[in-house]
Amino acid sequence: MSGNVPTIDENSRWAAFRREVGRALGAAIMALIVAFIVVLFTSKTPLDAMMQLLTAPASKPRTIGLWIDDAAKLTVTGLAFSLVFQARQFAMGVQGQVYIGAIATSYVVLGPLGSTWAAIPLGLTAAMLAGAIYGFLPGIAKARLGANEIVSSLMLNYIAIELCNLLMRTDLPKASAGVLTSVDFPKEAVFPPLIPNTRLDLGIGLAIIAVVVVWFALYRTAWGLKLRLVGHNAKFAEYAGIRPTFIMVSAMAASGALGGLLGAMFVQGQTYGKLTVLFEGGIAFEGILVAIVARSRPLAVPIVALAYGYLRQGAQLMNIRTDVPAEVIGVVTAIIILLVSSSFSLNFITRLFRRRDRATSVPAGSVVK
Amino acid sequence: MTELLITIISTGFFATVIRTTTPLLLATLGGLIADLSGALNVALEGMMLIGCLTAVIVSVYAPWYVAVLSGVGAGALLGLLMAFFAYRLKADIILVGFAINILAAGGTVFALALATGGDKGTSINLQSQAIPPVDLTFLSGIPIIGPTLSAMLTGQSVVTWIAAFLVFAIWYFLYRTPWGLWLRGVGEYPAAPEAAGIPVTKVRTWSLVVSGALAGLGGAQLAMFNYVGFTRDMTGGRGFIALGAVLLGARHPVGATIAALLFGAFDAFAIVLPGLYNWMPSELIRMIPFIVTIVALISFSVRAQRALALRGVQ
Repeated sequence: MSGNVPTIDENSRWAAFRREVGRALGAAIMALIVAFIVVLFTSKTPLDAMMQLLTAPASKPRTIGLWIDDAAKLTVTGLAFSLVFQARQFAMGVQGQVYIGAIATSYVVLGPLGSTWAAIPLGLTAAMLAGAIYGFLPGIAKARLGANEIVSSLMLNYIAIELCNLLMRTDLPKASAGVLTSVDFPKEAVFPPLIPNTRLDLGIGLAIIAVVVVWFALYRTAWGLKLRLVGHNAKFAEYAGIRPTFIMVSAMAASGALGGLLGAMFVQGQTYGKLTVLFEGGIAFEGILVAIVARSRPLAVPIVALAYGYLRQGAQLMNIRTDVPAEVIGVVTAIIILLVSSSFSLNFITRLFRRRDRATSVPAGSVVK
Repeated sequence: MTELLITIISTGFFATVIRTTTPLLLATLGGLIADLSGALNVALEGMMLIGCLTAVIVSVYAPWYVAVLSGVGAGALLGLLMAFFAYRLKADIILVGFAINILAAGGTVFALALATGGDKGTSINLQSQAIPPVDLTFLSGIPIIGPTLSAMLTGQSVVTWIAAFLVFAIWYFLYRTPWGLWLRGVGEYPAAPEAAGIPVTKVRTWSLVVSGALAGLGGAQLAMFNYVGFTRDMTGGRGFIALGAVLLGARHPVGATIAALLFGAFDAFAIVLPGLYNWMPSELIRMIPFIVTIVALISFSVRAQRALALRGVQ
């Protein structure tokens, strides 16, 4: 993580990078071993199940498409969490922002402008605006009234989900009564596929742009410097003349915009092309894992998202092809978060490989500490 | 409007409120213990959920009290796990909490699918048991208020009465025993008890274990009395609402009970309102507890800030 070691010369930066990669890999291996033990006790064909988990996503062009699509979404939610984690805020509202963003997009593209060329840019803008407002709310409640952002953002998640259910049932046009999906969006409003017959669409481009923009904002602008300063030491930042509340609220709003963008990527993407209830399926919270393992570094986020997306997709395919439910991945996710955010994996790796750089192994705090 | 009033002041509604409050109250007490020891236990939701599933699965094979106890044990174990990672391995407690929530959301569905042979939604084809209700019909022998009392209190779960006792027990523990003082001291300003030779980490670990056990008990009540059987994500945010209830109750056991009763009443509304007013969307009714939690949170923070200003701290 950026705060532990002042990484000035290239050598120490390289060492820090190696250490982080070691930690992440160590945690992933530990988690997979635990998953294997679980599968061993519960599956009739444990080896086949593990093979599916580890190899299936890369086996066919179609599954590679699914994997990359997942990775793009994980990248955006990982970025959203990274932004608030760098400012040392625990806003957990990405899930709610995804729903609010998707609702906003749906209203725009199912409106009169939905079948024009403006549908995609307008849909994205609406989603990002709605998400930013939704992220702003817990921020301003904390800055002005001191309300804990964790609890308020979690409550907003549930409210957004219920709102989506409500609008779906009562207001949005549906193909037939009783179904819980909207009519298909107009063709102009759905992201064009980059490769025909796969789920690879404009969403990947958006994810890459988001990575670059967040990196630039955090590491090449005054706002980003202030944000990281506030995250490291809010008192110091305040003495330096930075208003921590402004930074805090703007970081949460910016993160909200990313959450909203993810909502648009869901409903405007090739996967759906329409709004449905509960479309998000818990992926938003997995951004916590991506951000933690990437140490909230925007440039590391897509790499972690690719690796984690691979496992996630592998679990889905394992679910289809063997008798092991995909939800076993929840165990893997939890273990990885626990190990990477604690000092456990570091000790484990050092003991395992008897690394020499014990002296440089700083006490590994979590990303945000 | 009159139908609503008649429904609300009926004894049946009061009984429903007690029933919906119990799991929430237990989670709130768990949140309170953790909060007073200086940890925001965001994992209450996951602990409850795992408590629900453990209780349901064990109740298929064992008597109901063993099932309830195993739900409690599961919660306590998760509390211990949380304490181990947060205090021993110095991970951030919020992240540990969310790791447990993710583990619970995925792990319960995984275990449910294995236990039912592939059903990922409900445990409907498992023969799980319920916690027996307590019969208090003898209360109707009391003159005047007897029949009302009996109608309100008869048929509540054993766990409800345990929960009511726990409110008192926790109050006594926190404010009348030295360990309670330790716990509050550790949460208030850890350096002072540390200097006084109090084992801070041990106190914190036990707080999380008890917090998890209470959440697990709440889960057992939810899945073995309020509903019989497990449904995916059946806690539905109750663990997070409990965090709000702790603050709304001004971090005091009695306050927490009143706050839990308030949220329980909204839960009960959500049960009776659709029958009375079918134009009212059920989604809106289900939103109410979450909106109330935000309002409660803001009012608590404003109050706390004002108290600080009065003491001249800010």
